Amino acid sequence: MAVLELENDVASAAPASRPRRVGILFVGSVAWIAVIGLAGIFADWLPIQSPTDMDLLAKRAPLFSPGHILGTDHLGRDELSRLIYGGRVSLLVGLLAPVIGVLIGGCLGMVAGYFRGRLETFAVGGVDVLLAFPPLVFVLAVTAFMGQSVANITIVIGVLGIPAFTRVARAVTLTLSEREFVTAARALGATHSRILIRELLPNVALPLLAFFLLAVAVTIVVEGALSFLGLGVPPPTASWGSMIGEGRENLDIAPWLAFLPAGFMFLTVLAFNIVGDTLRALTDPRPGAL
Amino acid sequence: MAKFIGRRLVYLLPVLLAVTLLTFLVASLLPGDLASTILGDQATPEKVAALRAQMGLDLPIWQRYGIWLWDVLHGDLGRSFRTGETVWDAVTARLPVSLELMVIGVALALVISIPLAIVCAVKSGSALDRFFTGLAFGKLSLPNYMVAILLIYLFAVELNWLPATGWVPFAEDPLANLKSFILPALTIAFAEWPVLMRVLRSDMIATLQEDYIAMAKAKGLRPARILLVHALKPSSLTLVTVAGINIGRLIGGALIVETIFALPGIGRLLVGAIYARDFIILQGVVLFVALGFVMVNFIVDMLYAVLDPRIRHGRA
Amino acid sequence: MTSIASRLFKIMLPLAAVAGVAASPALAQKKGGTLTVGVELDIAGFDPLKVGVYDTSPNIAASLFLEQLTRLGDDGKPKPSLALSWSASEDYKVWTYKLRPDVKFSDGTPFNAEAVAYNFNRQKDPKNNCRCAFYIANTLSVEAKDDLTVVYTLKDPAVNHPALLTRPDQNSTIHSPTAIQTKGDDYNRNPVGTGPFVIKSWTAGDRMVLEKNPGYWDKNKPNLDRVVLRPLPDAQSRFASLVSGETDVVWADEYEADNIARARKNNALKVLEYVGSGAGVAAINTKVPPLDDVRVRQALVMGLDKKKISQALTNGLARPATNPYGEGSWVKCKDDGALPTDPKKAAELIKEYGKPVQFKMLFTATPRGRATSQVYQQLWKQIGVDMEIEQVDQATFPPRAFQRKFDIIGWRIVDFPDPDVQMFANFYSKSPLNLANYTNPELDKLLEESRATPDEGRRTEAYCAISRLLNKEATWFWVFQNSYYAMTKAKVQGIPKLYGGVIDVSNAWLD
Repeated sequence: MAVLELENDVASAAPASRPRRVGILFVGSVAWIAVIGLAGIFADWLPIQSPTDMDLLAKRAPLFSPGHILGTDHLGRDELSRLIYGGRVSLLVGLLAPVIGVLIGGCLGMVAGYFRGRLETFAVGGVDVLLAFPPLVFVLAVTAFMGQSVANITIVIGVLGIPAFTRVARAVTLTLSEREFVTAARALGATHSRILIRELLPNVALPLLAFFLLAVAVTIVVEGALSFLGLGVPPPTASWGSMIGEGRENLDIAPWLAFLPAGFMFLTVLAFNIVGDTLRALTDPRPGAL
Repeated sequence: MAKFIGRRLVYLLPVLLAVTLLTFLVASLLPGDLASTILGDQATPEKVAALRAQMGLDLPIWQRYGIWLWDVLHGDLGRSFRTGETVWDAVTARLPVSLELMVIGVALALVISIPLAIVCAVKSGSALDRFFTGLAFGKLSLPNYMVAILLIYLFAVELNWLPATGWVPFAEDPLANLKSFILPALTIAFAEWPVLMRVLRSDMIATLQEDYIAMAKAKGLRPARILLVHALKPSSLTLVTVAGINIGRLIGGALIVETIFALPGIGRLLVGAIYARDFIILQGVVLFVALGFVMVNFIVDMLYAVLDPRIRHGRA
Repeated sequence: MTSIASRLFKIMLPLAAVAGVAASPALAQKKGGTLTVGVELDIAGFDPLKVGVYDTSPNIAASLFLEQLTRLGDDGKPKPSLALSWSASEDYKVWTYKLRPDVKFSDGTPFNAEAVAYNFNRQKDPKNNCRCAFYIANTLSVEAKDDLTVVYTLKDPAVNHPALLTRPDQNSTIHSPTAIQTKGDDYNRNPVGTGPFVIKSWTAGDRMVLEKNPGYWDKNKPNLDRVVLRPLPDAQSRFASLVSGETDVVWADEYEADNIARARKNNALKVLEYVGSGAGVAAINTKVPPLDDVRVRQALVMGLDKKKISQALTNGLARPATNPYGEGSWVKCKDDGALPTDPKKAAELIKEYGKPVQFKMLFTATPRGRATSQVYQQLWKQIGVDMEIEQVDQATFPPRAFQRKFDIIGWRIVDFPDPDVQMFANFYSKSPLNLANYTNPELDKLLEESRATPDEGRRTEAYCAISRLLNKEATWFWVFQNSYYAMTKAKVQGIPKLYGGVIDVSNAWLD
């Protein structure tokens, strides 16, 4: 214990050479996330049109059309409304699915990377089996038996993400397990669970969090790709991913139909990552040595 | 070393068994079957039952799997009832296409992501870093089916430099073959590079904060050498892991890219077999893909030891 | 025209046509060149026993290397192909065809009556469990009277029998018996026919290359040296390949309205359009509440503004349909009993019904299925109906249809020279394809009448009465006509009308 505490004191005694200020980008990111999140939560009460009402005479209306500030889609539905309701779905799926991955995959990977031996072989083998198993069969099976819904899509994408988290967590744990602080803790008689939770977890958490934020972005896109194949959230529920897919067919007549949801998605995942980066910079004060 | 390889081979067999069994079981649960697909609008219950009996579909699942396994162990992957072609012919005709696409695509992705990641990690927090970060997320927001069609419109329709669709076998015309892969491989590379770049950047930033990097600098080593020799290798773990997973997935075909560019790859074969409930083809493809995955992960695990000498192999 | 006169006319017409073909002036056809055709779907194979039914892509390929006894001329009437002439018995139940002599399959074996009989018997044999047997259910036997004479014996009379053989489909195309017997399972992907082209190479999922058949019986044909068929599943990259020049002809449908409009504006391209018989339709399961109440069904039909749907999904290209026969059919009704588009009345009917109206509708999990489903859902929402969208993949559709596990399901009545086969299949109470689960003795009687007589006038009367009944009971509804499209480079000539949606390039040439 003494050795470790000393290490921490040394670390915090070193002067931080970067000013710990939150920049304007951080503030902007938080604001954007708040706006999108709140709009999604309170969508039903906002003074916006219905996302499913079709104004068939005003198909693909351009931006700033009367009554439709962001135009309409190929079936005459209001874009702004669909972007807000779609954001709700995309954020829900985008945030919750990777949680499944990081919780299950992260634990599995850490345990595998720490204990090695047969446990690791089983874990890695199981992950390999999941990876080689055709995801489409899995999606079709879930859709056939449990129906198509936002909840089921979240579970499906979450489960499909477990192998990646497992492998990443395992890789990080492999490196860390051989580090001095773990050896020291073991020498001092710490139990496995104490080492895992107190020593390894905080260090694995950071790279996993970074990966998690990437996974949020990828999940939103994967849901869109599934919608492209007819397996995403069921119509008429919108999601940014499915809107991008529908927009693809109208690229030269109404390019904003694809680029607006792509833009919203871009700003949102960027915001998440700026927040993540900033938080990491704040909690890990050592500057880069180069 | 030999022991390590031997251990891995022993591990290969249960994985192959587990994957093919799992696929067989889950696919059997899907509604509809090959007999109904073939009979289409003539699928009366009597006709379906008769055709199922003819195709051996009325046997219990364990028996059908067992028969398939027995045949495979004797080198017979079977023949599709629907098309009449052998599974071996169907898969080996398409595997080279998917493999070539995967190799070129991932290579391009690495060529883009590694330099960018290094630059962003070194200049972390700067405007350049922010710009490339923005670019990465911007690209992520443009799914591959969008990128594909944009590339086609630009290079095939407007400029007419490259073909929009199709594939020429390498043996027939190497130049045309490469030309037919440029746009699809670019689509894949564009889809992969953001994640690869971000994970490498992340790990590099953490590595650059390590003491031994400070020591190397204090020793007076040139920054380039520090970066490429001392920092890059241990930072590449996540990159190699993610790249490995992506390569494995790409061996299973890139359905959307293959569909849009009309490439005769494994992805379309697989999806076609799933939608038609053509199990014999499905099992054959899954077998090959699982084999590919295990080999790729084997290489990835070997690379772990190379990249970070602190990782030793196994411990009882 | 009286009955006798029309019969004579029908017999003499093919003879005149033979003379006509020999004398017709060539439209400055140019010889040589390669034509590349982009089709939508990949082709599984050509053995009827394996694939059951030919979809559009195999039809297009089949029109190049396979042939039938007859083909459709520009006037929509059957013309000689492998058969030179034909005659019918008095009751139109026995048809005799005289075959063209000196025709060989591309494997060198002779084409003769035995070959025709062999093909038929193989499809009909119950031991083979062929899905294709259904479509020849009305044909009892096909016999080879002598080397060049074939006799078809039918169960019910068919006035238009020669027209029924014109499609390059799984039943009418004649395959080489020798090749089938020697190749067995491999025949499916190595078919042999008598057509103007021969398959030179075929890479699954990539392309089929066909070359001129040097032994083809018509020395003037074909014009092209080579045809390359490429499955290009994505609509946008398919169109891009036409614009970029990689393909010369591409298949399209009305859902590609933007591309069609663009092709029409482009001077280097042209658009071929053909409105066939039949329609895109939907069947309502009349045994499931609330759809068992005729008021609900009528309300559903009246609540669908087809012009609006066409505008939404196809920019107005799709043409509304009001009966099962379609604009391309010889059945023309003065009054088909179509219900008016009247959402107000529909809403009233729903209110009158009283109970909540909720059901699911089955759609394919494709972009057009999705778009269609959302438009229907929205239009029906406006009359107070709650429709839930159920997306399924293509393989799930037939079993669901067959087991009647649906409330409403989309279907299609295909473009065909005679409505008989499909009308019976879909609407006869004892038919396994009676998707609506609807039994009505009057409907059955009308159907039986429609095939009992050779008189086109009386048949039309029966068919129109059927249409009125079906529209009133609203057990099925018809949405759009079958519009078929092809987009080609302007220099491509010689593609006939897109009968049945088949793009027949066997006689095409490049200007």
